[in-house]
Amino acid sequence: MRNLKRIALIFFFAYQAVAQEVKVVKYETLQDVIAAEKDKLIVVNFWATWCGPCLAELPHFMEVNRENKDNPGFKMILVSLDQVRQLDRVKQLITRRKLDTVHYLLDDNARMNDWIPKFDPAWSGGIPATFIYRNGVKVEFVESGLSKTELKNLISNHKN
Amino acid sequence: MKRYLFLILISGVLLSAIIPPQEYGIGDAATDFSLPGVDGKKVSLSDYSEAKGFIVIFTCNTCPYAKAYEDRIIALDQKYKPQGYPVIAINPSDPAVQPGDNMDAMKARARDKGFTYPYLLDEGRNVYPQYGATRTPHVFVLKKEEGKNIVKYIGAVDNNYEDASQVSDRYVEEAVENLLAGREVARSRTVAIGCSIKPKK
Repeated sequence: MRNLKRIALIFFFAYQAVAQEVKVVKYETLQDVIAAEKDKLIVVNFWATWCGPCLAELPHFMEVNRENKDNPGFKMILVSLDQVRQLDRVKQLITRRKLDTVHYLLDDNARMNDWIPKFDPAWSGGIPATFIYRNGVKVEFVESGLSKTELKNLISNHKN
Repeated sequence: MKRYLFLILISGVLLSAIIPPQEYGIGDAATDFSLPGVDGKKVSLSDYSEAKGFIVIFTCNTCPYAKAYEDRIIALDQKYKPQGYPVIAINPSDPAVQPGDNMDAMKARARDKGFTYPYLLDEGRNVYPQYGATRTPHVFVLKKEEGKNIVKYIGAVDNNYEDASQVSDRYVEEAVENLLAGREVARSRTVAIGCSIKPKK
């Protein structure tokens, strides 16, 4: 019984560790991560804990992510634009809201004017913002909140 | 022939109704407005006959980026109002969506922080779409030329919202200094992450 409890605890903490992993990166690393997904359709969503419309659309994203969980050609990446000193808050929110996907925090505030146009020249800097890349190449960019249907439509435009 | 002309005219009218007004680019003449401020008075750009131009900033109470910039916006006003470029702050938020951005909350914020500039509510939410403001804070530096307010700079206040002491590029200051020196603005457009201005659906 004690062993069982111990095992359960280990699994519990292992799950927590996985769920809360947030890699803190600069722009170049994030670009490399995206470019490396050569055989995938990836959804990259920029959000922040303070951004109401972001939090409103994320449940739709999680549903779509779950529907694609057996699809090896699909990946979802969430990029937090919170300050790095808010990392704990970001992790807590990810756990609490069960944002079960790959997480990065883009800690590159002083260079926003460089990297925002590199993601898309038309991006004014508002979030939420969602990008879709197919085989490492950008195919969609939306600077507003998305419903589940809107997100699914965007994805189905570019299914491999 | 007359009939075709009529059709072309009609379709032109229809199209202009469908296509949203173009947001401002550099060199466009900005619209004036008459919006209520936290002191109970309506404010227009035309009230400032002595001004050489304006630092129009779309900002609000609730956005963390806007809050991070409040002290720096006060500093901009204190530095440039005496030189002819006062700050005019406009809150584009819809209090129905964002109750923390209603006029009472704006008055409280202006009093607590000691805003030295007018803080106006874009009541009908007609002004910010004309400027093309998409997020807060979003700055438009205007210069008076032949009775018009010409857009000279669109973008962020500076390059580090997170830490004022780490700022290396003061975009708005650079723009105003360029204009005061009688030059064109060297870096006339910048972008930064901000809170999207949310229209009520």
